[in-house]
Amino acid sequence: MEAFRQEIILGAVFLYMVFCIATGLWAMKRTKSSSDFFIAGRGLGPIVVALALFSSTLSGFGFVGGPGLVYSIGVSAFWMVVISSAGYAIGFFLVSKRIRMIAELRNCISLPDIAAARYNSELVRFLMAVTIVLGVMGYLATQILAMAVVMQAILSGTAMFADIGLVTCVAISSAVLIFYCVTGGIIASVYTDVVQGAIMMIAGTLILFTAMSVFEGGMQEATSIILANDSESMMPFGAAGVMASLGWFFVFGLGLAGQPHLITKMMMNRNISDNRSILPMSLFGYIMAALLWISIGVVIRAAVIDGVIDPLALPDDAASVFLSVFANPLLAGIVFAGLFAAIMSTSDAFLNIGTAAIIHDIPKAIHGHSVKNELMWARIVTVLLAIVAASFALYSHFKDATLVALLGAFGWATFAASIFPVIAIGLNWKRATVMGAVAAIVSALVINFFVQLAGIVPPYGISGGLLSFLTSLVLFIGVSLAGTEPELPDDIRRAMDI
Amino acid sequence: MGKNLIYVIFAICLLMAGIVIAIIMAEPVAGSGGVAHPEISGMQVGGDGQARLVHIGNLAFMFHTLLLLLIVCLSILGVSERYRSKDFILYMSGTALLSLFCLWMMWSGHQQFMETGTTGYFMGFPIATAWQMYGTWISAIPLIIIYSVGFRKYIFTEQDEKDFNELLDDQKKKLEQ
Repeated sequence: MEAFRQEIILGAVFLYMVFCIATGLWAMKRTKSSSDFFIAGRGLGPIVVALALFSSTLSGFGFVGGPGLVYSIGVSAFWMVVISSAGYAIGFFLVSKRIRMIAELRNCISLPDIAAARYNSELVRFLMAVTIVLGVMGYLATQILAMAVVMQAILSGTAMFADIGLVTCVAISSAVLIFYCVTGGIIASVYTDVVQGAIMMIAGTLILFTAMSVFEGGMQEATSIILANDSESMMPFGAAGVMASLGWFFVFGLGLAGQPHLITKMMMNRNISDNRSILPMSLFGYIMAALLWISIGVVIRAAVIDGVIDPLALPDDAASVFLSVFANPLLAGIVFAGLFAAIMSTSDAFLNIGTAAIIHDIPKAIHGHSVKNELMWARIVTVLLAIVAASFALYSHFKDATLVALLGAFGWATFAASIFPVIAIGLNWKRATVMGAVAAIVSALVINFFVQLAGIVPPYGISGGLLSFLTSLVLFIGVSLAGTEPELPDDIRRAMDI
Repeated sequence: MGKNLIYVIFAICLLMAGIVIAIIMAEPVAGSGGVAHPEISGMQVGGDGQARLVHIGNLAFMFHTLLLLLIVCLSILGVSERYRSKDFILYMSGTALLSLFCLWMMWSGHQQFMETGTTGYFMGFPIATAWQMYGTWISAIPLIIIYSVGFRKYIFTEQDEKDFNELLDDQKKKLEQ
């Protein structure tokens, strides 16, 4: 079996891609309106929503960047994972019920629709749509790049595709992604998410057992090796230090309820009462899949320190090196398919919300109505958005080979800071005003972009994401309290009373 | 915990912002955000843990404490005021205490390791890290339980469902007119 390792991996990934294409064709028959295309007609069952939610959370960032971060900075990176239980809880407490109610009440198909309904303001809709488009570009590019890097690693291991270039890999992976997103919209996306979620859970669990068997003394031996080399990197705050860790705790924990690709899925379930089972199922799935993140990172760091394997060329190689050195070929095939699944499920979610912002929300905010023939435009813009993001990914890669993980973190922080206060708090606090929402979104965008573009590095590992998130929260509540209490539309007021 | 809750949340956010400013202004420590591993490229090390915390340890501890309280307060905000009964608040207070207990065990375990250089292990990880990893995960589980098990009591009761259906009917009638 070992002699056919690359063929097995390639076969698993190929099968997965064929499945995605088939799902796209199947879902095309069920996609008859823009509501079907963007929110699956609000008719999904709890298991589908739960799996779609967690598989969209754990993107290429989790599968490629996550183990790479643990390899690079040790336990600091754990904070992004261990906060998931609190993060999911806050998301459901603050968002899931009210977003679903307002979506049905006002026939909303996007997050900016919800914001416009809640604040009775086209300005808030416009700013949120712009935020989504900006964030989607960075995030989608990251996902496409991750997908292409992994594909290149797989194909270059075979004799036939030994010299395959990154551009070709970007083209192949984007083509599959575009095909099933364009044909089947969000319906194709969530049904592929179900299989993706299942693969990710199985992969995470099997990887944990494999990782525990790398060293004779199991995980304890691996952590002891790291501890002996540099104790801080195996202590609770890792190599990056206490404020970097707590910053991630803050941004990833609270920020989960501000991720548009996740909370949009909370609008898609058939019944509001399904939320009671969606929450524990999503969290369970996430934890099972996230085992991969921690176990690969720890074992590869220990193996390099102990001289079992050579140092990695790049931290992001941690997952692929682990799979090629330590995993059974069949398991490697499943995990690589799972990896594609994770990246694709996040990418299609981003394509979907980005397209909605462009063809539905921005025109509606400016002209008072969205474009005619929304479904056709949705398909055209999905293709264009994917091509632009793929070009952006290639440009970023060849110009500056920054870690995939940090690009992902930047996208997450931008969404967290600009959307969490406006949606998560705003849906539960009638006193929140338009000015408060505008102040929160603008400050979040300005601080995040300024810190990133100016290359500002605050001391003690404090991140720009933490600064922008805290500022937007303080401004949102402070500006709202300083203004006069807004008069809400009757239906929104009644929905917020429930 | 009625209308004042938002002021509590605002106060927590302000305090956290103040702490971050204080940390930014604190005397810097070289390599506090990690330094490159001396032999392995792409890997970072933390170095002297005591030195990294000497100027900001207490502030970081307060930040962490406030963050855990913020999580509980935000969860309470997501429950309608009329359902925030004494029982509910008591339960949420218990959740906050559990989180703070895990935080204390993690911080004190780390401090103890820095003083003695020795540690025990729990399920593969040094004790302090095990509190961080398993403790942080588990301390939020009561939030998941109250949401799922108490869904019909605190989140979306049968009456809420009736009220919402009425609201939908009213909205339909309005549109038909």
